[in-house]
Amino acid sequence: MSDLTPKDPRLEQAGASDESLLAAHEKLLGRKPDDGGHYKMLPLVLLFVFSGLIFYAGTYLNHYSGNYDAAVFDENGHSASGAPAIVKLDPMVTGKKNYDLVCATCHQANGLGVAGVYPPLAGSEWVTGSEERVIRIVLHGMKGPVTVKGTTYNAAAMPVFGKVTGSGYNWSDDKIAAVLTYVRASFGNTASAITAEQVAAIHAKEGDRKEWTAEELEKIH
Amino acid sequence: MKNGFTFFLGLFLALGLAWAGIVLGSNAQLGHLAPYFDENEGKAFPERMAGIAARGQLVYQDLGCAACHTQQVRRPDFGSDKARGWGDRQSVARDYVSQAQVQLGESRIGQDLANFGARPLAVDADRLTQYLYEPHGGMPSYRFLFTERKVTGERSAKALKFATPSGFETVPTHRAEALVAYLQSLNNVYEYPEAKPVEPAPKEGEHK
Amino acid sequence: MTTVPPAAAPAEVTEIDTSARWPLLLLLGSALLWLVFSGILALVNFIQLHTPGFLADCSVFTYGRSSAMQEAAFIYGWAANAGLAVALWLLARLGGSPLRSLNWVVAGTLFWNFAITLGLIGIATGDMTSNGWLHLPSYVLPIMLVAYGTIAVPGVLAWTGRRKEMTFAAQWYAVAALFLFPWLFSVAQMLLVFAPGRGVLQAIVAGWFVQGAWTLWLAPLALAAAYYLVPKITGRVIPSYDFAQLSFWTLLFVGAWTGGRHLIGGPVPAWVATIAVVSCALLLFHYLVVAVNLRGAFCSGGSTILKFVGFGLMSYVVGGFIDAATAMRGVAAHTQFTFFSEGQSQLALQGAFSMMIYGAIYFLAPRLTGRSWPSGALIRAHYAAAVTGTVVLVLSLLVAGFVQGRDLNDAAIPFAKLAGFYRPWLLAATAGQGILLIGNLLLATHLLWLACPKAVNPAAFSPAPTMEASVS
Repeated sequence: MSDLTPKDPRLEQAGASDESLLAAHEKLLGRKPDDGGHYKMLPLVLLFVFSGLIFYAGTYLNHYSGNYDAAVFDENGHSASGAPAIVKLDPMVTGKKNYDLVCATCHQANGLGVAGVYPPLAGSEWVTGSEERVIRIVLHGMKGPVTVKGTTYNAAAMPVFGKVTGSGYNWSDDKIAAVLTYVRASFGNTASAITAEQVAAIHAKEGDRKEWTAEELEKIH
Repeated sequence: MKNGFTFFLGLFLALGLAWAGIVLGSNAQLGHLAPYFDENEGKAFPERMAGIAARGQLVYQDLGCAACHTQQVRRPDFGSDKARGWGDRQSVARDYVSQAQVQLGESRIGQDLANFGARPLAVDADRLTQYLYEPHGGMPSYRFLFTERKVTGERSAKALKFATPSGFETVPTHRAEALVAYLQSLNNVYEYPEAKPVEPAPKEGEHK
Repeated sequence: MTTVPPAAAPAEVTEIDTSARWPLLLLLGSALLWLVFSGILALVNFIQLHTPGFLADCSVFTYGRSSAMQEAAFIYGWAANAGLAVALWLLARLGGSPLRSLNWVVAGTLFWNFAITLGLIGIATGDMTSNGWLHLPSYVLPIMLVAYGTIAVPGVLAWTGRRKEMTFAAQWYAVAALFLFPWLFSVAQMLLVFAPGRGVLQAIVAGWFVQGAWTLWLAPLALAAAYYLVPKITGRVIPSYDFAQLSFWTLLFVGAWTGGRHLIGGPVPAWVATIAVVSCALLLFHYLVVAVNLRGAFCSGGSTILKFVGFGLMSYVVGGFIDAATAMRGVAAHTQFTFFSEGQSQLALQGAFSMMIYGAIYFLAPRLTGRSWPSGALIRAHYAAAVTGTVVLVLSLLVAGFVQGRDLNDAAIPFAKLAGFYRPWLLAATAGQGILLIGNLLLATHLLWLACPKAVNPAAFSPAPTMEASVS
């Protein structure tokens, strides 16, 4: 072993040659595991520390990883529900918005329609009456003459709004329910709301079909 | 470690595993994160910023503003972000999907800017522009974003309002205007579904 | 057992050293010039922190740009050049044969430094990116990648083509650093600069890169130097050497997972930050083993180089414990976004990396040039300046961060008043940077003096004794 005396910093002498350094350390690694059978405290302590750290790491990961969910930003919790939270549509807001965007083109903003061309929605028995009929009208459209409040309209067809073949709008059941709820509670109407489940049920029952005529609808109640 | 090939394989695996876990894993979760479409409002959030604000973000980046300012709000029980009026909710990943270069920042020598657009200083563009020229507090001034020029005809409407030698005015350059537009556009108030507070995990042995 | 017949003792300086003289001196010289430059910029930055008006109206020196320049100059200028020189020299010596393709090393060095210069000009004129440790503009990054490859390849070849079968911890660390950095760098370039990920993905990749660059590149370079210098100078084998392998692989496998360290409570999924916390804790094992292995550095017995290495080792281990402590959420809530993180970063870069590399430079330069250092006083002065500067800088930054964090979290204190409370500590930190700059100027002039052709003070190497594999 070299004895260390205060060295001149301008030239640090080596305490060992490179070859012997390599050889000595290789010898250390090459020792048989149970050489002499004596266990040193320090390496055991290190092993215990390592296992302890791994145990701590595993437990911490378990508790605070939020199920590795991309939507969990707070490590203290997990998502409130399994399904993604759906923001509820407010029918009066969405319904009005879509009505003003689309329906008002023909039925007008005040729901009175255009005389002789587009039937009114205000006080119309088709709107405030049977839910089965009005849902079908919006879902699949209507063609042919129809009598509303005593006047017959035959000039234009009601377009297809639901998610069926040939539809230019492809409105979801939610949206149809919202618009119908809005119309049935506006322009002086006071009919009940329509739910998305009702629309979905009728959509499932009728599936794809061409536009209704007034006679077919009157048979339904 | 004598066997050369195994050694290099080990090295490669060491880096590769971390890359796969952190980079690929988060890419799988966040790589295709899209704006959230709100049926009630009929538009997607976060809203894209205007072109001048997007150019302002480039100015923000090239001046290195992220060296002193963060743009991330922490949740209310982690620090005092909400109490300081910096935001009502924690910033979530979706707040940043429409930003070309995210400027999260790591240092709060200056204030957090995630919702700066809602603060009084940002509401008035002129006042904010003046602040860039003459800030108070620890912020350095950015006079090189302005030019002083002779008044030709009428004084420019954009000239800064303080005493200048007569016949001269100080006008913000386009970079200054873009930066101001960007700062005014910073506002993340929309409540995404994932931004709501989550329930704490049930304690061991307790039923929820 | 110290006396060995001179004829049988292997020479301390061989053809390995003489053939690599000028390429490695070029690397070291550029490193020290960058160190001085980054020191000047650091001093400017710290002055700007407490006196915002300083140089503020010059667009080149606005704080955002000048701090990016300082960081790039320190990491890619000083740390990369010096670390590469030390790694190449170590691998050549322990591999037993001279480095090949040294012309490529010279070309690589010139291109690397050219790219950094171009990059710094780019940052100053407004092309910087917003990613930590990767602020350099996009157009210099590919040049840097290729230049690094040409410098690193001879080192890796010195390992694969080594004369001896046996290997040593210093070689593992050096090869790991040389081999892993190009992969880290190229992936980071792709995902951050050339095809940026969407939204916060950039922040996550940036964190992975920064932590990877520290744990898989800079720390191994410093540890390679330390693992070589301690047994070489003391002449004693490393205690508990059998754990060195486990510690090495722990650092490599766990290191880059700490990437989310600064994103605790941030706009990323919770698991990213949690994995970082857990990895910082797991790394404690690595720091413990390194401390046990290299504790010989603390009994330096008058060797200045071992004093450098000892200080570096202490900074490294203490830094590791502080990292693990501040990763915990309760602590992070107070230290995040404050000068505390800057203090941790300075402890690692200045305290750990730089000090160990200074020791390596003082050891290898005489062997490269065949001359001893001209002045012992300069070495002692540099040691004093480096230690004082680092201690003052790190402690004042940590305290400033603590004060800032405590006040930030107290919403009753208006934000504008915060700076007044930590200003005195920033003044102290500025003083620390000034002292460090003086020390680095001393080292740079000393190396230039050593390499100067006119100086003649040949080194008289005494024959190196044989090391014994005693059970310690």
